[in-house]
Amino acid sequence: MADLYRSRRRRNTIVLGLSIGATVIGLSWLAWILGTLLWEGLSGLSLQVFTEMTPPPGSDGGLLNPIIGSLMLTGLAVAVGTPIGILAGTYMAEYGRYAKLSMVVRFINDILLSAPSIVVGLFVYEVMVAPMGHFSGYAGAVALSLLVIPVVVRTTEDMLVLVPKELREAASALGMPRSKVIQKVSYRAARAGMITGVLLAVARISGETAPLLFTALNNQFFSTNLNAPIASLPVIIFQFALSPYHDWQRLAWIGALIITLAVLALSIIARALSAGSNKG
Amino acid sequence: MNMASVQSTTTSVPTPIASSSAESAGAREEKVSVRNLNFYYGNNKALKNVNVPLYTGLVTAFIGPSGCGKSTLLRILNRIYDLYPNQRAEGEVLIDKKNILAPDQDINYLRARVGMVFQKPTPFPMSIYENIAFGIRLYERLPKSELDGRVESALRRGALWEEVKNKLSANGLSLSGGQQQRLCIARTVAVRPEVILLDEPCSALDPISTAKIEELIDELKSDYTIAIVTHNMQQAARVSDYTAFMYLGELVEFDATSKMFTSPVDSRTQDYITGRFG
Repeated sequence: MADLYRSRRRRNTIVLGLSIGATVIGLSWLAWILGTLLWEGLSGLSLQVFTEMTPPPGSDGGLLNPIIGSLMLTGLAVAVGTPIGILAGTYMAEYGRYAKLSMVVRFINDILLSAPSIVVGLFVYEVMVAPMGHFSGYAGAVALSLLVIPVVVRTTEDMLVLVPKELREAASALGMPRSKVIQKVSYRAARAGMITGVLLAVARISGETAPLLFTALNNQFFSTNLNAPIASLPVIIFQFALSPYHDWQRLAWIGALIITLAVLALSIIARALSAGSNKG
Repeated sequence: MNMASVQSTTTSVPTPIASSSAESAGAREEKVSVRNLNFYYGNNKALKNVNVPLYTGLVTAFIGPSGCGKSTLLRILNRIYDLYPNQRAEGEVLIDKKNILAPDQDINYLRARVGMVFQKPTPFPMSIYENIAFGIRLYERLPKSELDGRVESALRRGALWEEVKNKLSANGLSLSGGQQQRLCIARTVAVRPEVILLDEPCSALDPISTAKIEELIDELKSDYTIAIVTHNMQQAARVSDYTAFMYLGELVEFDATSKMFTSPVDSRTQDYITGRFG
């Protein structure tokens, strides 16, 4: 009896030690990444980064054009992808919960969710860039929105399925038409989770490089023309980090830091939103 | 009164209700008449040829062991089962002599006339005021002052006004379980239905909240026709005028509550009421 208890205690100690070890290892990598980013990026972070364009090698400059480009591409991708994702998720969770079509869509969506983003880039190259004859911001935004849609579909459906059926029944029992039940009750109950889904989608695409390489390409000059190649932070980071020029490499670090901080901020907002909704 | 005599009264001309006491027998007006009703969950037959009336302005209690079909029957009366595929009803449910199972029945209008309160309190994720105002706005366009008045009177009818009048903008979910359930009753009443269905409204509540809701039912019955499903036989005896005993999807016995609890005809009813099974 005492032996059994002792060995159980011993095993508990070992497993606890392993768990703590794994946590420390995992977190230390993250801390290392963040530390390096801050170390390399913070020193160069200045107002100039946000006001000046990318420089030719050997001269001063900033990241204005890729920052604006990234904001435009991300904004357009979210503006296109969110309504489609929310409507599809709504169909699957509300109207077609028991329909075969929902099962098919869910399956395809899950594949799309884990599809390598470079495949999405190649696809958009094939259907948009090649026929149009040139790279463009529109193609980049479409590629990014194809990454947004599955994330939003999934979170919207998951969050709406979590809304208790009793709530839907209660709303219907007042004589509320289906569309109103969804808008006023289901969406309201699932709102925080659905917004979190959109924020996570933004976080996901803001660092994507592969789909932009084949679509939006890059631009060393300031341009807000979405019908032409446009700069974006991830692609500029890719280009500058691989370059042999020290000042370009430094700008790449700064760009990486900006993306990371933006994603971090989005994640914190998303977390705060879902925590707020749990409290009711 | 046995089933046959109940049936015979269904065809009588509507007569004004003499009193709300069940003991004064005689021809009563049937607000709702359930006729030869069968119900299926997929291939599973949950109700077998059920016939039962709900008399205008009276409380009818449905008792019986779990799974006997009481809640199923209630969920047919406002066609809430329609939300789910593979559930279907056969037969007739007449409300004011019109079959609500007919395909041309406007379901949302039906549900506005036949309100329902569920076992678990289900406040909407919005303010107390909005919880009530919401249902009203579905069918009526009222100026703000009139809407305020309707919300207040609904909350008063729900015996909740005194407790919430200073925090109408608080979230409905912040109320206690008993208060939430009274909010749900107030919300149902606010739409001014004709029939109110209560599906085990007290089973998730403490005895004090239960007592409040039972009082409330007693007050409401002067204006509404009420059906209540309950597992609690004392509750059925306390609040209802008529009682229906259901078992395995059949309606075994229906009679005035006082008679049902003192001298039931069917031996199964007697066994259930005396606690020998169920």
